[in-house]
Amino acid sequence: MKQTAVRMSTYTADVSGVCSALYELGGMVVIHDPSGCNSTYNTHDEPRWYHMDSLIYISGLKEMDALMGNEEKFIRDIEEAARDLKPRFIALVRTPVPYMTGMDFEAAAMRIEEETGIPAFYVPTNGMHSYVYGAGNALALVTGLLAKERSAAASGKEHPLRINLLGVTPLDFSVGSSLSSLKAFLSDRGFEMISCLAMGSSAEEIAEAGKADVNLVVSSVGLKAAKVLQRRFGTPYVIGLPCSFGGEKSRFAENLASQLQKTAECGFSVNLCSGNCDVNHSEKKAYIIGEAVTSYSIAAAFAEKYGFLPRVICPLDSPEELMADEILFLHSEEDIVKQIEEADLVIADPMYRALAPAGADFIDLPHEAYSGRIYRNRIPDLMHLPDWGTEHDL
Amino acid sequence: MKQIAFYGKGGIGKSTTVSNIAVILAQQGWKVMQIGCDPKADSTALLRHGEAMDTVLDLVRTKGNDVLLEDMVREGCAGVLCVEAGGPVPGLGCAGRGIISALEKLKEKGALEVYRPDVILYDVLGDVVCGGFSMPMRGGYADKVFILTSGENMSIHAAANIAVAVENFQKRGYAQLGGLILNRRNVKNEEEKVQELAGDIHSRIVGCLDRSDLVTEAEEMRMTVTEAFPDSRMAAQYRKLAEEILASC
Repeated sequence: MKQTAVRMSTYTADVSGVCSALYELGGMVVIHDPSGCNSTYNTHDEPRWYHMDSLIYISGLKEMDALMGNEEKFIRDIEEAARDLKPRFIALVRTPVPYMTGMDFEAAAMRIEEETGIPAFYVPTNGMHSYVYGAGNALALVTGLLAKERSAAASGKEHPLRINLLGVTPLDFSVGSSLSSLKAFLSDRGFEMISCLAMGSSAEEIAEAGKADVNLVVSSVGLKAAKVLQRRFGTPYVIGLPCSFGGEKSRFAENLASQLQKTAECGFSVNLCSGNCDVNHSEKKAYIIGEAVTSYSIAAAFAEKYGFLPRVICPLDSPEELMADEILFLHSEEDIVKQIEEADLVIADPMYRALAPAGADFIDLPHEAYSGRIYRNRIPDLMHLPDWGTEHDL
Repeated sequence: MKQIAFYGKGGIGKSTTVSNIAVILAQQGWKVMQIGCDPKADSTALLRHGEAMDTVLDLVRTKGNDVLLEDMVREGCAGVLCVEAGGPVPGLGCAGRGIISALEKLKEKGALEVYRPDVILYDVLGDVVCGGFSMPMRGGYADKVFILTSGENMSIHAAANIAVAVENFQKRGYAQLGGLILNRRNVKNEEEKVQELAGDIHSRIVGCLDRSDLVTEAEEMRMTVTEAFPDSRMAAQYRKLAEEILASC
């Protein structure tokens, strides 16, 4: 019964992940689907839908078109719309039906690009992966497309360390103050922001991503884009999020800032979400459930403040590089329930309360990619987490 | 690396012909991989001397993502690397989708980077009936398609359909038609009929194979003619065909 979720919700799927990652970049995103993926996306997964324009479309795939392999309508409709809208790029998003019929999206993208002269690519989603896969692939593809070659640097000119933030979407960071706090943290420590993939940065800023001295991967979503920038420009990266509680300084966050400096100098990428926490797991059985990078970073800051390290449980499909001993990758409800059955403390989205054992203390940490808008106004600033010790016995 | 796909009506002799070509190229020093794209999973049977092997889809079904590349590939006669895509239970599931999944899995597991074959031969079931069966001729897979046919009307009809599909796919950057292979069934005016087809589809006959009892005899020995009767006239015909195919690619 590993695949059965009786009490657990599902994370945002890969198709919405693509749309979320590309939302602000001026491209035309076409979900090839009868309609269903789009309403899930704009109703549950996209907090920017009503206050920020974007070119997200659904193809309106019909049963007979799918059965008969009529791809011409799909291609013609996109070409027609693209001529009017003049998007910066065209992204085709695969969904379960064309995945099952084996539609050749690469060929469709090639034809659209040839006909319109607008760069086109497809993201190999199928509706069965999580947003980490969809958004991660989309960011990697669009980074490869938009980042332009670096011009030779002016010699002898001193400049602050330049940085890209990779893996920022509302699915992990929502639309509260987390991103501005993160930018302020880095700015206060002398870093110059080149671009943020992909919230709050224009495509022109992302085009300059190759100028960065170091990249900061703040969620699993950003890792593939980091690899693209490393391959193209040799830019090293650091994985981690500088979380802290209240306004207090956290060693983990400060260590991350100094690690960015070191990594920029030595060129070797570092994963701070693996074996970098100096507080041992205590006898108290505590767990934090969520996305690997943000959860581990919160756990590290938590350990400093409260003296014990919660074990991270990540139910998402994550890049292999993040597979550290410190993080348990458990994908089924059965495995998660078994792991936390003797927990003293669970920190997770409120919808995980249904899985927590009766005697365990539970700290709400709402996650947009898990519960959508339900608890959005309770999502904390991840750089300034509230003092959970005032309400809980920590 | 050369990637070549073989299509043609069911039962026309694709697997037998492709296996003979595979052995000949391997004997000439090429590193050859033969991928059977048919749920029956019998494309490489003669290369394996009848020994059983797991199909890619069976392995994925039982082992999930833990499946290892070495489980999917078996070395056969003359060192030919044998792969069988496999497929669903007859009458159930979707064979075309199965071909796509199997080829994608091989790619995902790095088959080309690990084995570094010089030549990949795709032995594809019957006609291009759906998206799955066009997979071996899509971008990144075969560069050339060869169609086997006899002079029988049904076989010619199937070959014409496949040729039309290949032509229609040109604007997608798919494989080009390399030519026809005449596998004789000794029907009346056989050569003329296939020549006429070649003219209609603006192609040519790249090689002819006689109908020979030696093929059946070798099959009973679970071998290719090239292996069982290397000095035979039939083996010479396969060698000539292999030479023509390579020259066309």
